[in-house]
Amino acid sequence: MKAKSHINKVFLGPPLLVLAILALVPTIAAIVISFQNKELGRRGTSFVGFDNYISLFSDRRFSNAMKVSLQWEAITVIGTMVVAVLVAILLFETTRGRTRAILSTLLIIPVLLPRVTAAFVWKFMFNPLLGVINYPIKELTGKPIEFLSNIETALLSVAVVDIWQWGLFFAVILLKLLETLPKEPFEAARIDKARTWEIYAYVAIPMLAAPLISLTFVKMVESLRSFDLIYVMTRGGPGIVTETLDMYAFSQGFVESGRISYASAMAVLMLLTTIITFTVIFKWVRKWQNA
Amino acid sequence: MLKTSITTVGGLLMATSLTTAAYAQVCTEDLKILAQPRGSLTLLEDRVAEFEEISGVSFKIDFLNENDRRAKSRAEASTTGRYNVYYIDEANIALFAENEWIVPLREHFPDEYNFEDFDPSRITVGSYDGNVYFAPIQGGGDFLYYRKDLLEAAGITPPTTLEELKVAIAALHDPANNVYGFALRGGRGSGANVWRWMTYFRGFGGEWFDGDTPAFNSEAAIKATETYLELFEYSPPGTSTGSWTEVTEAFNSGQVALIVESSPLAGLTEDPTSSAVAGMVGYTVPPSPLTGGGYGHGLAIGARANPDEASRDCAGLFIGWATSQDQEMQRLEQGIFGDLNRQSVFASDEFSAKYSDNIATALEETADVTAVNFWPNADWPDLGDRWGIILEELIVGSRTDIPAALDELEEYANDLIARR
Repeated sequence: MKAKSHINKVFLGPPLLVLAILALVPTIAAIVISFQNKELGRRGTSFVGFDNYISLFSDRRFSNAMKVSLQWEAITVIGTMVVAVLVAILLFETTRGRTRAILSTLLIIPVLLPRVTAAFVWKFMFNPLLGVINYPIKELTGKPIEFLSNIETALLSVAVVDIWQWGLFFAVILLKLLETLPKEPFEAARIDKARTWEIYAYVAIPMLAAPLISLTFVKMVESLRSFDLIYVMTRGGPGIVTETLDMYAFSQGFVESGRISYASAMAVLMLLTTIITFTVIFKWVRKWQNA
Repeated sequence: MLKTSITTVGGLLMATSLTTAAYAQVCTEDLKILAQPRGSLTLLEDRVAEFEEISGVSFKIDFLNENDRRAKSRAEASTTGRYNVYYIDEANIALFAENEWIVPLREHFPDEYNFEDFDPSRITVGSYDGNVYFAPIQGGGDFLYYRKDLLEAAGITPPTTLEELKVAIAALHDPANNVYGFALRGGRGSGANVWRWMTYFRGFGGEWFDGDTPAFNSEAAIKATETYLELFEYSPPGTSTGSWTEVTEAFNSGQVALIVESSPLAGLTEDPTSSAVAGMVGYTVPPSPLTGGGYGHGLAIGARANPDEASRDCAGLFIGWATSQDQEMQRLEQGIFGDLNRQSVFASDEFSAKYSDNIATALEETADVTAVNFWPNADWPDLGDRWGIILEELIVGSRTDIPAALDELEEYANDLIARR
C-alpha cells in the first residue's frame, strides 16, 4: 500500500510542478504588478496599493467591458448549445449510415479552422461592399448592412462565427451520444404516443444531462478565450460595443497606453470573477444533480 | 522643374564596394528588423544577397500591420529590445527617443549614402529634440484626389475651399449608382480616424496643449468634429470602422468622387493593376483651411540590441543601404510611389516619365500646406488613440454629445500629465 502512495506522488509531482511554474508564476507576477504603477515607456515603478483597482470602478470602458463579456458569454454559450441540440436531433432523425458520417465530417471542419482564419473569412463575407452575405441584401434592398460596423449587429455577427464553429462541432458530439442511448425508452415513449419533440424533451435530453452540462462548461471556458476572433473581426468596435474584458486589458497594456499595472489589475479581477462564478455554478449544478 | 538623370548610382555602388571589407568587419551577426509591410521592404528581401556582399551578414524582417507594429514595438523595445532596427513613425518617435530605445542615426549613417538627399520635410519628421532618429521609408502630406470624369460631367471645378468641397460632395453623392461623394477614415487610432480629423481641427485653429495644460477642448475641436460627422454622411459603407485600406480601396474601385488622403495613394491610384480609376484622377492641394497631415515613417537603430558602436554602425549600414538612392530607383521602377523620399529621385527623368506633371505639381504645392498636426510628445500615441476610440463612438452613433466627449478626453489628458 505504501509503495502505491509513493507511485502516486511520483506521477503527480512533475505535472503539478510544471503546472505551478506555468500557472502560478505569471499569476503571482500579475497580482504583484497590479499593485504597482508600471507603464511601458515610463521609468520608475512604485507600489500604489489598490489605486488601479479603485480606478477601474470609475472607468466607463471597464464597466462596458464587463457588460460586453457577460453578453458574449450568454449569447455564445446559449447559442452554441441550442444549435448543437437542434442540429444533432435533425441529423439523428433524418440521416443514416454513410450520409450521416459524411455530414458529421463536414460539420467538424469549421472548428478545425484556426480562429484567425475563420475570422478573416467571415469578416470578408460580411464586407458591405464586396461580401457574399451582402450581395443578395444589396440586390433586394438597394443598400448593404454594415454587420460589423453597426452597433446593433456587431456583437451578434461575431457571435455567429463562434456559434458556427462550436455549435456544429458539439452537434456531432451530441449525435454520437444520441447513438449510444438505449432504444427501449424511445420505443416506450412512442408506444405511449409521445410526439417527436416530446421524446427528445422528456426522454433523450434528460438522459444526456450530464454530458450536456459538461459541454456547457467547456463552452463557457472556451468563450472566455475569444480574444483572437473579436480582435480580427472588430478590434472591439464599433466604438466599444464588442470590447470584452480581455480585449480592453490588452488594449490598455499594449495597444493604447502601455499601462501594464492597470491591465494586470483587470486580469486579476477577471481571474477572481471567473473562479468565483465557475465555483458557484459548479456547486449549484452538482447540488441540482444530486437532488 | 529641374530634371536630372541618375548618373551617380554607378559611382555610389563603386564607393560601396570599396568599403565592403570595412563593413564586413563591423557586422558580425545577422540583423533583426521589426517593420510593417511596405513594398520597398519586400523589395529589400529580394536583395538579401546584395546586403550580404557589402556587410558579410544577412537580415530578417518581421512584419506586423501598422497598429500591431506600433503595439508590439513599444512592448518589445521596453522589455527585451532584441531588434537591431525598428520601423518608427512620426507618432512614436518621441516615445522611442525619450526612452532611449533608439539612438541618433546620423553618426552611424554611412556618408556615401548621402543623407542630405532626403526631402528636408522627411528629415524634420524623423527628428526629435535636435537629433535625427530615422531615415525615411515613406512620408509626405495630403492631396485632394478628384475624379476628373465625374466632376467634368457635373460641371464642377476642383474645390479649393471646405465650403466648395461640401457643395461638390453633395452634388456628386449618388449611392444608388454606387458613387459616394467623399470617403473618410472612421476606424480608431491616432494614425487612423484621428489622423484625418486633425486636419480639420488644426485647420480651424485648434491647439493640443498650452504647455502642460490641455487646450484642445475648444470651439475648433467641436467644429472639426461636427464637420467630420457631417462629411461622414457621404462616406461609403464600411468606412465608419475602416481606415486607410477601406477608404483607398473604395476610391480606387471607383466608388468615391472626392477624397483627401495621404500622397502615397497617388501611386496606387495610377497603377492600372490595382486601380479602376487609373488616368481618371486629378490631384491638388487639400481645400482651405484644411492642413495637410505631414507624416513620415522610417528605419531607426535599436539601442539595446546594438550595445556598442560597431553594432550600431552595422545597423546604420543596413539603414543606409535600405534607403539608398539605388533602392529608391528600384522602387520607382516597380511603381512603389509611396516609398520615394529622395530629392534626386523626384527630380529625375525617370520620375517624370512615370508620373504625370499633375502629381509632380501637386507634390510641390502641397508642401506649403503640410503641417505637423499631432502633439509631438511621447504621450501622443496614448492620447491620440484614446481620442480615436471616442471619435469612432461618435461616428458610429453609440454616443452623440461632442462637448462631453471632449470633456472626457481632457480628463484623460490631465491624468496623462499627472502620471508623468
